[in-house]
Amino acid sequence: MTVLELMERVGIKEETLTIAWVKDAIHLIQSNTKEKIDIHKQDIIDAHDSNDNVYILPRDLIAIENVSVLDTSASKYKKIKRLTNQPHYVVEDTSP
Amino acid sequence: MSSYVDKDYFYYLRGRELLLYKLLGSRNENRITQSGVLQQYQNELVYPDEDIANGLRVEYTKVSEPFVSEALETTLSYASGTNISIAESNNTDIVTTTSNFWDTTSGFAVGDKIRIKGSSSNDGDHTIVSFQGTNNVILRTSSTLTTEASGQRIIIQQIPKEVSSPDSTSHINLNKMLSLAVVDYCKAMLSDRRGEIDKKEYYMKEFYSKLADNESNKRIISVASPINAYAVK
Repeated sequence: MTVLELMERVGIKEETLTIAWVKDAIHLIQSNTKEKIDIHKQDIIDAHDSNDNVYILPRDLIAIENVSVLDTSASKYKKIKRLTNQPHYVVEDTSP
Repeated sequence: MSSYVDKDYFYYLRGRELLLYKLLGSRNENRITQSGVLQQYQNELVYPDEDIANGLRVEYTKVSEPFVSEALETTLSYASGTNISIAESNNTDIVTTTSNFWDTTSGFAVGDKIRIKGSSSNDGDHTIVSFQGTNNVILRTSSTLTTEASGQRIIIQQIPKEVSSPDSTSHINLNKMLSLAVVDYCKAMLSDRRGEIDKKEYYMKEFYSKLADNESNKRIISVASPINAYAVK
């Protein structure tokens, strides 16, 4: 369906506004379903400083499907579990 | 070397960040010398203590390519064969021995975006620049390819081509059902702008209903009720 066809169905003349609404709608669709899946990989590093275990999530992420870590002995990515709470006592370790 | 990662690694989500922890268990020989241990009541979690190239993999949904140049329903061109060689005489060419294989048999057109699968070293996305040779047996791409002889089964499939500056002629990168859901969403937003909240609610309900229909269509779910749910016996 083209943007023009959508504008005619809705009864709106503002093209830029329609395009913005379409992007919003796709965002909402992606939040509720799995229409487009992508994969992001980054290196795991041996922690030497505080916050070395902090990895930035992809900026275009809407919803996480799963997180996995490479098992190098088997050359396979295996899903890992999510902690519902941050570990107790220490929130930042300055000498890991 | 990492092993038992599914049992040893855990993550915690903190805003836009992912915090990675490793369980310090009996399998870990560094337990005595490991410092900086984060203790829980039962488990001991430490920061990752090893380098793993491309070790963290996140699978996620994203907004990508919201607009494309061609409707999804017509982005169907497909080719497959074992007589396809790549970059043997020209490093941008994909060559077949079958006449008019690319344009007539497979339905590709100049400007189409294609995805190669099954090759030894040329898997990826490319764009068709032209058809060349006698009976158009050469598909010329805009990419530099790696030399590969024929023999292996290779699949070349058309994929949606993104439009970075969308206008009224651009297509929404969704199937028909979801495009109709977007129509409902836009109607809801229009009603909201007019202050017609009841209509907005109605169209948003229609929007979510179509999302649900689209999902159930994928999974072939049907619900049959043998009697009227409100029938009085």
